[in-house]
Amino acid sequence: MTDREIARYALRRCMDAGAGKAVCTLTFGEKKELNAEIGRMTLLRTTFDTALGLLTLSGDRKGTTAVNKLDPGSIDAAAQRAMALAAAAKADPANEISEGQPPAEFSCGPEAPDLDLMHDRLREFLDDAGRLYPHTILEQATLEHRVGRQYFLNSNGVEFLSRVGQFGFSLSFTTKADGKSSSMNFTGFTAADLGRPLRDHARVDALLAESTRQVVTRPVPEKFQGDLIVTPECLDDFLGFLMDNIGDYPLITGTSLYKDRLGDRVASQKLTVHARPLAAELASRYFVTGDGYPARDATVVDHGILRMFLLSLYGARRTGKDRAANGGGCWIVEGGDTPYAEMVRSVERGVLVCRFSGGRPGPNGDFSGIAKNSWYIRDGRIDGPLSETMISGNLASMLLDVKDVSRETVNFGSGISPWVRFGGVTVSGK
Amino acid sequence: MIPRGIEGYRSLFSDYTELRFQENRAVNIVLVDGEVLGNNRSEASGVSARVYRGGSWGFASHPDLAAESVKAVVQAAADNARFMDSRLKKGAGPLPREPGRAEMDFSTKKPRLDQKGLMEFLKDLDAEIVRGCPGLTSRTVALSCLDMEKSFIGSDGSLSYSMVPRAIIYVTMAMERDGVPYDLYDVYGGRGQFEDVFQDPAALHPRLAVQREDLAGKAAGVHAEAGQKECILDSDLAGVLAHEAVGHTTEADIVRGGSIAGERLDTEVASPLVTMVDFAYEALGSTCPVPVRVDDEGTQARDALLIERGVLRGFMHNKESAVHFHARPTGNARAYRFSDEPLIRMRNTAILPGEGDLGEMIASIDDGYYLKRFNNGQADSTSEFMFGIVLGYEIKGGRLGRGIRDTTISGVAFEMLKTVSMVSRDMHWSCSGMCGKKQSIPVGMGGPAIKCRVSMGGR
Repeated sequence: MTDREIARYALRRCMDAGAGKAVCTLTFGEKKELNAEIGRMTLLRTTFDTALGLLTLSGDRKGTTAVNKLDPGSIDAAAQRAMALAAAAKADPANEISEGQPPAEFSCGPEAPDLDLMHDRLREFLDDAGRLYPHTILEQATLEHRVGRQYFLNSNGVEFLSRVGQFGFSLSFTTKADGKSSSMNFTGFTAADLGRPLRDHARVDALLAESTRQVVTRPVPEKFQGDLIVTPECLDDFLGFLMDNIGDYPLITGTSLYKDRLGDRVASQKLTVHARPLAAELASRYFVTGDGYPARDATVVDHGILRMFLLSLYGARRTGKDRAANGGGCWIVEGGDTPYAEMVRSVERGVLVCRFSGGRPGPNGDFSGIAKNSWYIRDGRIDGPLSETMISGNLASMLLDVKDVSRETVNFGSGISPWVRFGGVTVSGK
Repeated sequence: MIPRGIEGYRSLFSDYTELRFQENRAVNIVLVDGEVLGNNRSEASGVSARVYRGGSWGFASHPDLAAESVKAVVQAAADNARFMDSRLKKGAGPLPREPGRAEMDFSTKKPRLDQKGLMEFLKDLDAEIVRGCPGLTSRTVALSCLDMEKSFIGSDGSLSYSMVPRAIIYVTMAMERDGVPYDLYDVYGGRGQFEDVFQDPAALHPRLAVQREDLAGKAAGVHAEAGQKECILDSDLAGVLAHEAVGHTTEADIVRGGSIAGERLDTEVASPLVTMVDFAYEALGSTCPVPVRVDDEGTQARDALLIERGVLRGFMHNKESAVHFHARPTGNARAYRFSDEPLIRMRNTAILPGEGDLGEMIASIDDGYYLKRFNNGQADSTSEFMFGIVLGYEIKGGRLGRGIRDTTISGVAFEMLKTVSMVSRDMHWSCSGMCGKKQSIPVGMGGPAIKCRVSMGGR
């Protein structure tokens, strides 16, 4: 059987087993990965992955199962199991599958890697970093090419095929000098090609350079209320509270602060956030949502106004609200009008947060955590790297108190972010 | 099921080779306010091979377990090792050999419950929450079961089979106070399949009531005061401290990457009250939450003594790091999925119990906090750590006071551990943790309650 025939067979077996409705997702993944440890290449890894996911509805009862074997016996057993799971479930009228839509195929990114080029790019990076930053230890570096193909079929006649190929790079590093260590830092990006040296992507080179200046640190001199400038690398940590609280679970349970706030101001008018899974400037795109619709680009926060909940088909039916245009992610935060350097100059007292290590915020938005690899800002200038510095506040309030968004943005391949200045944060030291 | 008798595949090996068959089986059920949000079973199995040549590694994996596929996987791993060796030419010597041979099967001998049986158990808990826990705005009862079954053969003579399951129930309760939402989770269960871990849902009922009272205390509570405070870290916190702040710092690959522990071997890094071990299979007379007899490189696993009465004594090793540090491999190489290569990972990391009494420890603090539960933790190679705290109480004048809202604690482990002044005689293991170093993997974390000074987040 061809891959498409396998997916059709699996869907048919679900219906033969008694499903009223069914969904089949059949995914194939292939990855080539080069690993380096302590600045030297160590491992070449080749993996093939298969995943067959089945969802069956028996009336309003739902069961889901996943296997990675595609022989007819395994598929038959999986279909039977999905039906047994549905039989054990409680009926829920919100369970549904996507309605019939025209078949479609989507594709982006490189289909196959050039292993020699991957090797040469990683070697070039390791050599350059070793030469330029001799005291920086490249703890782990990984360069991979992965390609995924997914068939999405359901019993309403939906049949989508999407293929996404991309390169991915990740790096963790520490600088040691004179018996002292910087905090570990890490970065990474995804890309559609390896036309440029790895250290020229995102802010890889800038972070390595910063690490060399973060070996000798000190705590903030005293506890104060001030501003945070959050770098593009860790902006997701601060926007994540909003995004996490507009999805299925918090809206269904009613624990979200934003449950009745669609169309309301939830952030400063300086903040606009898009979810753009189709954006050509991103390498990590997706074309089909998990519930079986073609993904569409959408704006989640438009100049501070909440425009969309990230609800799946099920979540929308449970809450009586609209289904989202996509599954979230691929965040593009619009750049603002303020140059980054001017943003720093405008801070009387605060912290440039380059990495955040914090507890998961509570449902009310209270958070606290350590500003890692970060810098003290005093009277408009960066005054030195920090250690043991705790920041705390309320994320919902902070979003409403965005003071500036930088003109400059950074493309990580999976999203695009600027620097953002927030006010009203408590900073305390040792 | 994966094959057990795999000796015959040894004939495929030419260079140093590891061959692993693995299947992970998972059950996940989620009830939210009595409705079924998740109802899933999954299986993922396959074979992987890793080949070592002159200091370079090649790895390959495939989901197909047929003999021809196994042969192709071994060949692909060897080809990858050759590709790397031809370019890198490291010329490294052979890896150390401490081959282990063992079988370990924690499968239940009881009849297995089907999904309906599991669902009934969870529904009972849900009904008890409705009955006995008034004032909640939402409740979630979730079951997560994971069986990890592995067959391993190595060219060094190692041969092993293991089936290590765990069954965990998570209960989350939410309530509002003055229009502001608060939540609190608790975890039940541990090593074993569901039927061995959970017998009667009524046995869990008393803890549900305690969880509800803790949540109410938190909602009515206060923000912690930011700054350095004297605290009691309960056993869950001591366990995650052992794992995150000291454990990661003493993984030999992290030491090579610049961890501060590299310069502290045989020096004092903690109070003499602190002894810390990464246990392989058994601890204090009991089988560990995540027992390992033979690791995923084929090494006979043994305990790794990390801190002995305050002095840093050693690191956790795989074969390659053992060569680098002129040490013996400890059997800490572990992989999560069949398609993952083994990394240096913790197994069961714990601070050993002392002689203190928890009540006396609390009574000894005039102004501080008793911290009981965390929701995440991180540390870096400087041993600076952070834990999110979701349950804790003030201590005022030696007595427990008001509950505190979610907060964070932080410190530098090798400094903070020197402030440990009391260690309780109780010992508790947590088996619900997943460590996320490149691949996520189950780990055990354990400890007594400890009295120390840490930085509190808050207002």
